[in-house]
Amino acid sequence: MNKEAKYKVVLIEPSEIVATGIAEIVNRNPEFSVVQTLSNPTYYNANNNDIDIIIVNPTVIDYNERLDIRSYFGGTNSALVALAHSNYEENVLRQYDDCIGIYDNTARIIQKLKSAMEENSQNPKSDLNELSTRERDILKAVAKGKTNKEIADEFNISIYTVISHRRNISQKLGINSIPGLTVYAIMNKLVDMSDFS
Amino acid sequence: MSNNETTYCKRMKVAHLLANDSSLLSILQRLDIKLGFGDATVGELCSRYGISEELFLMICNIYSYHEYKPSIGTLGKNDIKSITTYLRASHRYYTTVCFPAIHEGIHTLVKSLDDVSRKLIDKFYDDYDNEIINHFRYEEEVVFPYIEKLTDENRPAETLYSIAQFEENHSNINEKLNDLKNIIAKYLDEQYSSPQRFELLYTIYSVENDLRKHSLIENKLLIPLVEKLEKSHE
Repeated sequence: MNKEAKYKVVLIEPSEIVATGIAEIVNRNPEFSVVQTLSNPTYYNANNNDIDIIIVNPTVIDYNERLDIRSYFGGTNSALVALAHSNYEENVLRQYDDCIGIYDNTARIIQKLKSAMEENSQNPKSDLNELSTRERDILKAVAKGKTNKEIADEFNISIYTVISHRRNISQKLGINSIPGLTVYAIMNKLVDMSDFS
Repeated sequence: MSNNETTYCKRMKVAHLLANDSSLLSILQRLDIKLGFGDATVGELCSRYGISEELFLMICNIYSYHEYKPSIGTLGKNDIKSITTYLRASHRYYTTVCFPAIHEGIHTLVKSLDDVSRKLIDKFYDDYDNEIINHFRYEEEVVFPYIEKLTDENRPAETLYSIAQFEENHSNINEKLNDLKNIIAKYLDEQYSSPQRFELLYTIYSVENDLRKHSLIENKLLIPLVEKLEKSHE
């Protein structure tokens, strides 16, 4: 494999020590390259189509969102690998294509990255432009004129998460303005005209 | 195009420019340049109509070349006035030619729609129409007079207004048009497909493209030039 053909990895991990260590281990392998390290998932650009693997510490994802991790990342095509410092519920980890433990050695980490990519390529993804259930719920709220703050409170998520969902919704639909989203929501019967009179 | 090499120049024939990019027709139209110009070059046509050829070429280049980056170094006060004159003409072109065409298209389209879709699209378009009229009015009543005063009086304007405020509040007039385009292309039910719906989409695409260039002229030419002038007055 030549230099250009390295698999691109994004690392989302709040601890600088851990992030530096994992990045070092991954970069040492000629097949992988960490192209971006983030402390917070809201900085992740969901339009990034050429990322092969996202390694993410599940702690950084709001607990309400942990069960729909792929749509959290805008329905990404990338393989998702959990970086687990501690124990998580099984259905949290099941969202990921694989899980790296904090005591794994280099060989095991690389092996898990490969198996995650394998796993990811075998699972047919839902249509990338289709809204997830959570996104549809948020779209309904937006169409009804609710503010980000109100939506955050209603769904018990952070405002940043709301913004990130909204960005993904607009990206998928090609509609950015609130009136435009409202038209879409009514045409698709997500909300009723009577909600507005 | 990082080196701006393959762009238009004043020795080229106007007909050649149009053959390269027919959207330049709309520039001639808003500058009141009459058709029938024969083999006139850009330089000849500009001097006949008293238009700055440098500015004319910049505008044409902005229209035709995505990567083109105008260099404002050689432009001066007179050019700023020509730009505001051009932008006013451009607003007039939108309000008398482009938006009536979209309005007409919407009007024809909604006649065939069910009640709900008709109300939605009518209302969405009316709101957009109001928004854009307010946008233009604000520029013509506040921004351009400020700029023209600044270039006329050769001293700082006696107002707290500055072009930075305009830059900050300069809303994206294309967002809703883009939404409308997707609603009509993708989301309005298939049963309403008609030649008129296609026609309307063609119109929206071309107006959207034109508005994008219009904003580029404001953001890449006008604002930097006025900022430079404001600084020279400090």
